[in-house]
Amino acid sequence: MLKKLLLTIYALVLALAGLGADSAMAAPDKLVVDLVNEPSTLDPHRQWNPDSYYVYRNIYDNLVTRDTAGKIVPQIATSWKLLDDTTVEFKIRTDVKFQDGSPLTAQDVVFSIKRITNPEFKSPQLGQFNSITDATATAPDTVVVKTGKPYPPLLAQLVKLSIVSKAYTEKVGDEKLNLEPMGSGPYKFVSWQKGVKVELAANENYWRGTPPFAAAEFRAVKDAATRIADLRTGKADLIVSLNSDNAAELKSASNLAVLSAPTERVAYLMMNTEYGPLTDVKVRRAVAYALDRKLIIDALLGGYSRITDELLTPAHFGYVEGVKAYPHDPVKAKALLAEAGYADGVTVELVTAPVFDQRIVQAIQQQLSKVGITVKISMGDMSTFLKRRRADPEGFGDMVFGRWSCACQDADGVLYAMFHSDSVWSKYANPELDKHLEAARSAMDPEVRLKHYRLANDIIADQVPSIPLYQAAAIYGAKKNLQWTPTANESLFLMDMSWK
Amino acid sequence: MNSFLVKRLGQTILSVWGVITVVFIILQMSGDPTLLMVPEGATQADIDSLRLQLGFDRPMIVQYGDYLWRLARLDMGVSLVQNIPVVDILAPRIFYTLYLASAALLVAFGIGLPVGIYIGIFRNNPLSRALMAVVLIGQSMPTFWSGILLIMLFAVNWAILPSSGAEGATSIILPAITLGALSMATVARITRTSIIEELGKEYIRAAKARGLSFAAVIGRHVMRNASIPLITIAALELSNLLAGAVIVETVFAWPGLGLLAVQSIEARDFPVVQVLVLLGSVVYIGLNLIADILYSVVDPRIKLDGQQG
Repeated sequence: MLKKLLLTIYALVLALAGLGADSAMAAPDKLVVDLVNEPSTLDPHRQWNPDSYYVYRNIYDNLVTRDTAGKIVPQIATSWKLLDDTTVEFKIRTDVKFQDGSPLTAQDVVFSIKRITNPEFKSPQLGQFNSITDATATAPDTVVVKTGKPYPPLLAQLVKLSIVSKAYTEKVGDEKLNLEPMGSGPYKFVSWQKGVKVELAANENYWRGTPPFAAAEFRAVKDAATRIADLRTGKADLIVSLNSDNAAELKSASNLAVLSAPTERVAYLMMNTEYGPLTDVKVRRAVAYALDRKLIIDALLGGYSRITDELLTPAHFGYVEGVKAYPHDPVKAKALLAEAGYADGVTVELVTAPVFDQRIVQAIQQQLSKVGITVKISMGDMSTFLKRRRADPEGFGDMVFGRWSCACQDADGVLYAMFHSDSVWSKYANPELDKHLEAARSAMDPEVRLKHYRLANDIIADQVPSIPLYQAAAIYGAKKNLQWTPTANESLFLMDMSWK
Repeated sequence: MNSFLVKRLGQTILSVWGVITVVFIILQMSGDPTLLMVPEGATQADIDSLRLQLGFDRPMIVQYGDYLWRLARLDMGVSLVQNIPVVDILAPRIFYTLYLASAALLVAFGIGLPVGIYIGIFRNNPLSRALMAVVLIGQSMPTFWSGILLIMLFAVNWAILPSSGAEGATSIILPAITLGALSMATVARITRTSIIEELGKEYIRAAKARGLSFAAVIGRHVMRNASIPLITIAALELSNLLAGAVIVETVFAWPGLGLLAVQSIEARDFPVVQVLVLLGSVVYIGLNLIADILYSVVDPRIKLDGQQG
């Protein structure tokens, strides 16, 4: 009763708030961004989480980057060529200066690669780079990178490699590099008020042109409702991490815009094919037919996400069109269950964690119950979830709802890790699939790789070790006069933004 | 020093050690932080090598011994996530939480005390009933909700106060009111109860019979005796405010220890969480000790040796 009353008051307040819309403000020369948390670190080799890289990717340049279409394009490297299957030669720009005025050289690139791949450095990103066995500067503008084995996702991984200054890092040490980062990027570090904000200023001598804002500020605002209030009051110009309900709320304001982009994160329902009722492919297919993914996306995700029939998205290398799809068909689902000997129903355990949208877990539970599959939801904290996600078939549970992102936009980071029989994240063993995944991992020719991923995707779609649900969207709120198109890589490159 | 104080200090040290150990065990049970630190799809070899580097492969008892030894040397360790000393992460945050808690305490007593006195003395007039309603609202509104409500009204709709952050003098107002509301209600209720209790006692009738003015009776006699429970409340409320700061700081993006606690727990940053819980417990235990000592200062009937005088 009281709760209802409070909700009514809240709704009234929201309505009132909508009436008192802000007057349009002149474009200020400082861009204020509300993130969720402050960066864990501004040392670009130390941590790979969005709140950190949203900020530091503006301070540093990368060896290679992705354009807005998602294609890997030059940044510090101007071109590259394969010398052999395990050796790549990069040509390096010679006109780039760090913010302290010193030139960026091939030595700095080599230093950055060696720093992040040094096990002593304890980078959580080590696994993304440890295929690199050596890097050498063979000329002032040439770097040769060697991998132990042929490693086709190398360039996709190097998109995440920021180039730090060898001289500066050696002079100030690792700790100071985190607190006072200095790179060659479009924005210079100004200050970091712990727990509050990071301030950046434009690097007027930036080699790609003058940055769009004279200054930028990244604030830490944990609560989504507060981020929205900041945007409404003009305290923030851009806010991150909204859900579809937040977006609907923002749409009513005339001076604000909702921006969204499909990401490379795919929500999936992973099946235990090695233990329990889901070892039978008929039951797995029944689950696929029982789900109404369109309803989930429209009703719960505000239409922002997209159905996908494979674990990959168009943003990944290895995505193929036209794999076998399972439309919503409860009759077929029941028939398959009966064939598998579960005409009277079956009970399965679904493992999940609070970070995933629980409304979707409940929707899955309800949709499956309609065909006679009783779902018991086991929710633990993230550590427990990750532990079970990697457990033996007996400890895994029957299904897992989760989201997958390799942050590399390459099928190798998704399919190999999720389905190769050797991977701790896999609960599926199929020698035929293993063969394709291994072949695609060691071939340097993109055409050959794509051919294997075509076959791999078809096997996965047919055998259903996992049901892809949807490609998750990232939703941002912004002032209407901010010009920016978010991309699948979930970065906030200030160079790509401007005032209209 | 008398025996009561010695005993209380002994209990205090024991409590602190208990907290240290419980915190260690709970964090160990809650899972392996290595898993949360590696990217999705990391191989078992990647996970094992990071675990080895961070020392989580060692037996629990060795990690516990190492942890106690470091605490004994006041070495708070290094954050797993930020890779800088925990002290450097904590230090700038302490000020904000103290600032917020003091402002909230000011709200609690600045409003709660006069309101409590009024509704204690005038029990049945309309203003008193209205004030009682205010107290009830303060008592029953959850802070995560009232905070957002206040932001909507004062920042978004009327644009007179900032919506979040800790910049400028006015940014403290909304968080302090939000955090102080619950304590304000407690203070008002306790004050009201004590006043009513004291007003019914013999010495009040005696004072009235001596012809003392109403103001003198309240000011000199009732308030002095009614203030004893308030001292305990002040100490306990301060601890409650520190705990409540976790939610209020999250809503208002107030950069104090509460927000840091939420962030560190989510990131499984063991060393930071350990120190935060330790700090919280020491403050809580310390405040209780101070309240015990303060009793005897205000009320000579309570002696520190625990015997009734």
